[in-house]
Amino acid sequence: MTKKKIVLAEDNSTLSLLLKFKLEKEGYQLFIAKDGKEAIELIEANEPQLILTDIMMPFISGLEVISHVRNKLNLEIPIVVFSAAGQEEMVLKAFNLGANDFMGKPFSPNELLIRVKRLLG
Amino acid sequence: MSYLQDVFEYFDQLPLLIQIVWSVGFVLFQIILVLIIYLKILRTYLRRNEETVEKFQSEYEHLLINYLYTDSDSESSEQKEIINRLKVCVNNKFKRDIVVSILLKLRNEISGEMVDAIQKLYIDSGLVKYALIKLKSKNWYIVAKGIRELTQFKIKEAHDEVVIHLDHPKPEVSKEAQLYLISLFHFEELEYLKNVKSQLSEWDQIQLLEVLQKFDNQELPDITPLLMSENESVVSFALKLTKIYNLYDMKDELMILLTHESKEIRVQVIEILNHLYIIDAKSVLKTNFKNSSEDEQIAFINMLNNTFEVEDEPFLLENLHHTNFDIKLSVLKILKIINIDKFKSLKQKLTQPEFNQMIEFVENN
Repeated sequence: MTKKKIVLAEDNSTLSLLLKFKLEKEGYQLFIAKDGKEAIELIEANEPQLILTDIMMPFISGLEVISHVRNKLNLEIPIVVFSAAGQEEMVLKAFNLGANDFMGKPFSPNELLIRVKRLLG
Repeated sequence: MSYLQDVFEYFDQLPLLIQIVWSVGFVLFQIILVLIIYLKILRTYLRRNEETVEKFQSEYEHLLINYLYTDSDSESSEQKEIINRLKVCVNNKFKRDIVVSILLKLRNEISGEMVDAIQKLYIDSGLVKYALIKLKSKNWYIVAKGIRELTQFKIKEAHDEVVIHLDHPKPEVSKEAQLYLISLFHFEELEYLKNVKSQLSEWDQIQLLEVLQKFDNQELPDITPLLMSENESVVSFALKLTKIYNLYDMKDELMILLTHESKEIRVQVIEILNHLYIIDAKSVLKTNFKNSSEDEQIAFINMLNNTFEVEDEPFLLENLHHTNFDIKLSVLKILKIINIDKFKSLKQKLTQPEFNQMIEFVENN
């Protein structure tokens, strides 16, 4: 059985590694991007089934990644955004652009796994 | 050699101004050359440094993740090995800073049981000792960084070492010490503020309040010592607590504070009396009204806007001709509500056109 692909866009390398470890253990294939630009390249190259993205990232923000996926690539894959305290407006914008779910930082990796499982069926 | 000699001879024959221009040009050229070489060396050093940081960062990140995901309830041999490796690494300041930054980076982004594991790793790898050494530094910013680190990793055992910095001459250090106590000991250590001599800035107070409001247990201890503190900023902070936590029990202390030497405190007290709807204070405030500052008078009139009664009519009539426009307007508005006939009669009695205009405005709004 082929593994389901997930693109994770997160500029905190330690968090990325932690989530990669956690999700790969559960049978998913993770592609890690450290900024929005890399995320778009990985999405275009790998056609993932799920995107996990932080909102604030260098070069291209998470909002731009969502907009690119929904408006340019016309993909309907689920997108989960990570937001920090005080980014409530950004989260609303992310939902308006087509995000499916959000998690406020700090979050529990176990809770994220539950959401990923739910979204990927 | 002869070519150089020709150049020098040619230079000597040149007019003085041209000689100066050439000399200045030569000196500038040398300075630029030195700067270019310096920048090149600096850039190479920074790049190498960055590469080294990345290398160690990647190594320690993997160690941390392996530590966190080792399946065992009790400490496994693999975890012990990781701790031992980190213990060796943290002896070096450069590596220690990288380890701490990685632990913090992850600690700030995740919640749940992993946070406890990160904290345990911080303690087991011997980093507490180095944070405590920072507290003894002669540089204030290192002390502040040390206290912040202890706060972020919730090291309660450092209490005694941190407390001595509460009145540090640098406000940045004392603020970190205050945040340490509040973040780790919550309301238990609130009383320490009564002895603080340094001033808490508005920003410090906001930060302390923000930390306090995050706790599940919101039961506040007796804050009377803080309200009676000699430090004006501590009194102001205690008043904010009184307002946020609706401490009606502090009524007697608030009444005493109406005679506080600071005008700002007195105004704040009136605003809180208004917020808590302590109407018993009205009689005192009315008696002192004439001798109060304009800010206090405005604060009291605002209070009266919320707490007016028919009995306030004589006081209002007494202050119809107050020099302050806002007070005059508020007096008219209240009077209109409590005795409309009296209010209407004012229009006939008073002949000043400006006053009549105000009455008309209040009448129609």
